[in-house]
Amino acid sequence: MPQPAQYRGMALVIPDNDSEWIEYFQHARQHRLVMRACPACGLMRYPPSPACPWCMGLEWTWREVSGRGTIHSYEVVAHAIQPGFKDATPYVVVLVDLDEQRAVPTPDESLRIIGNLVRPDGSMESEREVAIGRRVRVMFQDVVDHLALPQFTLTDEPPVGRVWRLPE
Amino acid sequence: MATSSLRDKYCIVGVGETEYSRHSGRTTRAMAVEAVRKAILDAGLRAADIDGMMSYQNGDSTPANWVAPDLGIRLNFYMDVLGGGSSTEALIGLAMGAIEAGMCRAVAIFRSMNGYTEFRIGGTGARAAQPVRGLDLAQVPFGMRSAGQNFAMTFMRHMYEYGTTSEQVAHVKVAHSKHASQNPKALLKDRVTVQDVVSSRWIVKPLHLLDCCLETDNATCVIVTSAERARNLRQRPIYVMGVAGRVSKPRTDFHWAHGPISRVAGYYAKDIVFGQAGITPEDVDITGSYDAFTFTTMLQLEEYGFCKKGEGGDYVSSGIIELGGKRPNNTAGGHLCEGYTHGMNMVIENVRQLRGTADDYCPKAADGVHTYDYGPRMCRQVRDPEITMNLGWAMPPTGSALILRR
Repeated sequence: MPQPAQYRGMALVIPDNDSEWIEYFQHARQHRLVMRACPACGLMRYPPSPACPWCMGLEWTWREVSGRGTIHSYEVVAHAIQPGFKDATPYVVVLVDLDEQRAVPTPDESLRIIGNLVRPDGSMESEREVAIGRRVRVMFQDVVDHLALPQFTLTDEPPVGRVWRLPE
Repeated sequence: MATSSLRDKYCIVGVGETEYSRHSGRTTRAMAVEAVRKAILDAGLRAADIDGMMSYQNGDSTPANWVAPDLGIRLNFYMDVLGGGSSTEALIGLAMGAIEAGMCRAVAIFRSMNGYTEFRIGGTGARAAQPVRGLDLAQVPFGMRSAGQNFAMTFMRHMYEYGTTSEQVAHVKVAHSKHASQNPKALLKDRVTVQDVVSSRWIVKPLHLLDCCLETDNATCVIVTSAERARNLRQRPIYVMGVAGRVSKPRTDFHWAHGPISRVAGYYAKDIVFGQAGITPEDVDITGSYDAFTFTTMLQLEEYGFCKKGEGGDYVSSGIIELGGKRPNNTAGGHLCEGYTHGMNMVIENVRQLRGTADDYCPKAADGVHTYDYGPRMCRQVRDPEITMNLGWAMPPTGSALILRR
């Protein structure tokens, strides 16, 4: 994989020996969101890691997930510190509860992932649209030939739980 | 839980600081030397009495074995650890362990940083340009790199779950600015209002500019030795009752996976540190809850049980945390107003408070004579405090704590 990939002024480095990430991003390039699943206990984990945090198993398989979920929390960056994000402000970062494995294996644990809230065309979504409880789906932003980033866009599905956003 | 067998066996005997500024114009080595030297003199020790040295840093400072020889100190033990916030308390515990193990007798712990002119703590400049690899790939490509960006979703979720408001947490800045107005060392000495905070520009919602700490250049130092030795030194001994170091939530690789995400590490640390000390929050006279942001002070105060979980907004806006209140927090102004040291200045302040020698504007402060007038440019000494507690913050899933008594 050519290194590094340049994205918004950042050098994204995923060397050939990055045993955690390299296959994840190969799947992402095919526009598939995959999680590591433990063959021993069946639980999925993110980010990809060398062992199962629940049973210490060292084996894994890649399991595709739907990429659908609910906004668990968010932030709106008004003052970017990375130069490549200056022209994108204000931009929204979301923490998404994926539909698979919610509140499993304990009520406090869930399969969660971070991305930007974007429009279907990949541009940054307006901060006026974000709220905890709103539904999203994954979409992929192609960065270079061998790398795509998972991002999230709003759907028309009914929200989950109480809908809330920071008062103006 | 039984109290710790080491309770009251170790003391902080000396403290030292450089100026808190945005223009040090010198190396972290030179600043560390000044802070360590001041702490040695404050304790009434000589260079030959110091045989242990520790520091914490993130590749932005000078190691202990480059600082010690500048002062003619020969070391029997030294160690520099990676880390920022929450390190001070943890290193005090490690220094106790090193002395207990017979490795050395007195340990100087320092943090020296050009956090404004070299390595911007806010993440701009050199920090923003670092390549993105490993676990950073899970968030940095999405424009989530600075401390504020890393913590904001925790704060937002707390507002969602508990109804916490921007106005409530703004009171943390209001209180700390009041305290800084009585501190000649503080970089920001002007008092601010809730309206000043909530009308300042957004940095990363829900954080306004004035919800965020300073970036400064400075070095700070504390000296730890046995209580036995402390009794014959220059200052009143300040005893360590309990310490918890870098206690963490599960899944520090991605703490978002284990909620509630509005829960912070104090949830796990409180039983350790209060258990060692054999006290409860009600026994604490002054808190030093780390104020990287207004929210971090609030989150830790509620997690350690100074109020119920979720009621931190009410607690910090009630007047309790201000000088003159029941249990003031960060009486020197903290990271929001005095200067940014990754936590050590808040330990230094509590040591001075327990000695009764807060270095305020009272003419005879060094002799322990205070007016207790908490008006601007006046006194910041609390009347006869007996027990203080520092709540150190590294990030939502990691923190440290330290209980001191006079």
